[in-house]
Amino acid sequence: MTEKQCLGKFPLADEPNYEGMLQCMRCGFCLPSCPTYVLTGRERSSPRGRVALAKAVADEQLDFTAALKEEAYFCLDCRACSTACPSGVHAGQVMEACRNQAHEAFPLTGAVRKFREFILQRMLPSPGLLETSMLPARLYQKLGIQWLVRHSHILKLGPEWVDKAEGMIPALHPPLRPQLPDVVPAVGEQRGRVAFFLGCIMTLMYPEVSRQTVKVLTHQGFEVLTPKEQKCCGAPHLNEGDRSTTRSLAQHNLDLFMALDVNAIVTDCAGCGAALKDYEELLEESGDQERLTIFRSKIKDISEFLAEQGLRTEGLKPIEKTVTYHEPCHLCHAQGVSRQPRDLIKAIPGIDYRELNEASWCCGSAATFSLKYTDESQQILDRKLENVQATGAELLVTANPGCHLQLAWGLKQAGLPQEVVHITELLGMATPG
Amino acid sequence: MTKATLDKLTELLGATNVLHEKEDLLTFSYDATPEIQHLPDVVVFPTTSEQVIDLVKFAREEGLPIVPRGSGTGLSGGSIAVNGGMVLCLTRLNKILEIDEENLTGTVQAGVITLDFFNAASAKGLFYPPDPGSQKISTLGGNIAEDAGGLRGLKYGVTRDYVMALSGVLGDGMPFTTGGKSVKDVAGYALKDLLVGSEGTLGIITEATFKLVPPPQAKRTLLAYFKDIRTAGEAVASIIAAKIIPSTLEIMDNATIKCVEDYANIGLPCEMAALLLIEVDGHPAVGAEEADGVKAVLHKVGAAEVHEAADADHAAQLAAARRTALSALARVSPTTLLEDATVPRSRLADTFDEIERLGEKFNLKVGTFGHAGDGNLHPTVLCDERNRDEMERAHAFYHELYEKVLAWGGTVSGEHGIGLAKRDYLEKQIGVGGVNIMRRIKHSFDPGGLLNPGKIFNDATEGSRD
Repeated sequence: MTEKQCLGKFPLADEPNYEGMLQCMRCGFCLPSCPTYVLTGRERSSPRGRVALAKAVADEQLDFTAALKEEAYFCLDCRACSTACPSGVHAGQVMEACRNQAHEAFPLTGAVRKFREFILQRMLPSPGLLETSMLPARLYQKLGIQWLVRHSHILKLGPEWVDKAEGMIPALHPPLRPQLPDVVPAVGEQRGRVAFFLGCIMTLMYPEVSRQTVKVLTHQGFEVLTPKEQKCCGAPHLNEGDRSTTRSLAQHNLDLFMALDVNAIVTDCAGCGAALKDYEELLEESGDQERLTIFRSKIKDISEFLAEQGLRTEGLKPIEKTVTYHEPCHLCHAQGVSRQPRDLIKAIPGIDYRELNEASWCCGSAATFSLKYTDESQQILDRKLENVQATGAELLVTANPGCHLQLAWGLKQAGLPQEVVHITELLGMATPG
Repeated sequence: MTKATLDKLTELLGATNVLHEKEDLLTFSYDATPEIQHLPDVVVFPTTSEQVIDLVKFAREEGLPIVPRGSGTGLSGGSIAVNGGMVLCLTRLNKILEIDEENLTGTVQAGVITLDFFNAASAKGLFYPPDPGSQKISTLGGNIAEDAGGLRGLKYGVTRDYVMALSGVLGDGMPFTTGGKSVKDVAGYALKDLLVGSEGTLGIITEATFKLVPPPQAKRTLLAYFKDIRTAGEAVASIIAAKIIPSTLEIMDNATIKCVEDYANIGLPCEMAALLLIEVDGHPAVGAEEADGVKAVLHKVGAAEVHEAADADHAAQLAAARRTALSALARVSPTTLLEDATVPRSRLADTFDEIERLGEKFNLKVGTFGHAGDGNLHPTVLCDERNRDEMERAHAFYHELYEKVLAWGGTVSGEHGIGLAKRDYLEKQIGVGGVNIMRRIKHSFDPGGLLNPGKIFNDATEGSRD
């Protein structure tokens, strides 16, 4: 340990915010909103319990124990508790900070550490490298699935994760980033100019979805700029508790996008959008508050942006389908964007919209949660699938690649007929050309 | 806790129903009461009523205090293991056993969530009125133990008014059943009425049968804004004096309005000193007449503005927002020290004056909300538990307020219970004689003194003067 003064028994600076933890008055309103509490009925796996544990470490009543590390990763970070909490506590963020602490308290060693560092610090921050490995499927092969399987107990991955990971990967197309022109002109009367933040998972796994996003934006009258130098938003790093790499990625993207003369920075990935909106807090100590605030105000999820601008519906082709909508946690809970996607869907002529029961309940994907806790993830997914089935809809719309992968895989496994589409695919279908 | 003891418990309940790691004990060391926390020795989750009997017998053999607990949303420290021992958590005893449409009753296990029961009754066209603020997560067993109130108390009463029968286990391990589905029952002492509100000190409730009623056919929701809080208090007294009994008559002061609006974003008037949320219900014609009557009173006393909820969704939003009041106040300060003083309604305006006077006297920030129609206010000091001086002033504030409340014939707790938080005030309200009767009752139900020791009054030996 260095000379640096850490809060209570936290092993590292960059602790969860103490005032934020103190804000919890333990009313328990978060409990019914938390998928892991509902699953286990165990207080320590609830937002109130997790905050109490972190606060106990800060108050020196508890060491940073293995159980706290476990809870930090068992938390889905779905932020449903933030929506439910009248006091303004963000248990998800507290747990994100604890994941970072966990790597100091329980450092990985040897090959596992090298692997994690390679993925988080070399692979993800470098779009080129990511794309030369070409496809995640090939990435797995290249790194040796056998090696991973042998080490899966150390990585704390669930027993069936390999099958699941392979089964989840959709039919792959070449990555979109190198193909997209730097500037795509608006179609029809121009209403503005936007920058497009193209997420890693979108470009690698769902390039055809993001292609639709650009098409929809241009047909809605926006010139679209896609800077090639953009890097990963940092969400995977934050998720895995690597805050320092997150900060350097954030700084890079901030500088890159702030240099563009655009009305908004639009993304079609709810996870990226939430992470980009968090830069303001993440880079707080870097100083330039005004710049951060402007950046924050420009970040828009595609649904949020189109709803704000008003959807041009003239010329839209009717879609005669029954449709329901699953809310990605990082859209509704982390960004408060809930009504807008529904309004957009309903604005498409011909659509028979059916509300999904518990639409804002997590689908169990939650970054690597679905691979680490396969059983728990399945139980959360089953609850979602039951609700989807009850709608009888033909299309299940969502707006985040993590949910997309999990839901498509789950529906296929369960033999259910629904097709999963991203909201811009749906809008793309209705858009002529 | 020795390994042998844990092994026995595990044998009894299965490993997943016995928690003893430090992290688990820590997260069962609190409820929603500020400043109070204590680690239990073990936490157990019975899944059958028979297991509860076994657990009580086991605790007797081991000399372990038993602290019954639901979801831990209590506001008087009732479920905190101040003497350590065994937290007996009833959340996994959570089946709705029956909705009886012939007798208009519902029978549940103690761990059923209040709102789940409400919804199950609704699905059969019936209505369970008690709706404590924490209804989305509170358990019915906890509601019974604390005799929880809610937003509909004024017209529909509180939990006690709906309990028809209880089963459970006494402190000596003896199972009991009291009451039944008969509408009338005067066979001997009303034991169920003793158990309701007994805060886990007399017995462990495992099952309950509730009365259900037909739901009101129509509802009208009004919002009245006031430029000063005293006028709002007078409006409440005037509505009651006009012989109108709304189902809901809730008040929020300016600090509460701002916090709730900050969270809920539903267009509450942040510049107003107070608002009343008023709901009348019943037959549509009666509802309309009462709504007009309330509006007339509001205009007469000088409400700044009177609005009506646009539709049922809007009305539900308003009620939901009101339920978040206490938690929303926590946005402003790390600690929210809330109280539960209740006065005869004619004293409501005076109580607001007194709260304001004392807030100034002790230099404290206070947010007040509550069930105005019941005379039940929740003045909440917005403070910081790290500031000892401020905490002392906060306690002095309540001390003086309670003296006044008692002088006016009020009570120190309308619906949260005495627990640990208000023990010192009980004797002031009911006298030494009153406390001693309670001790004797406690002794006859729980001769070993194992059930939730230290709650309501200090443990029996200290004050058993008989």
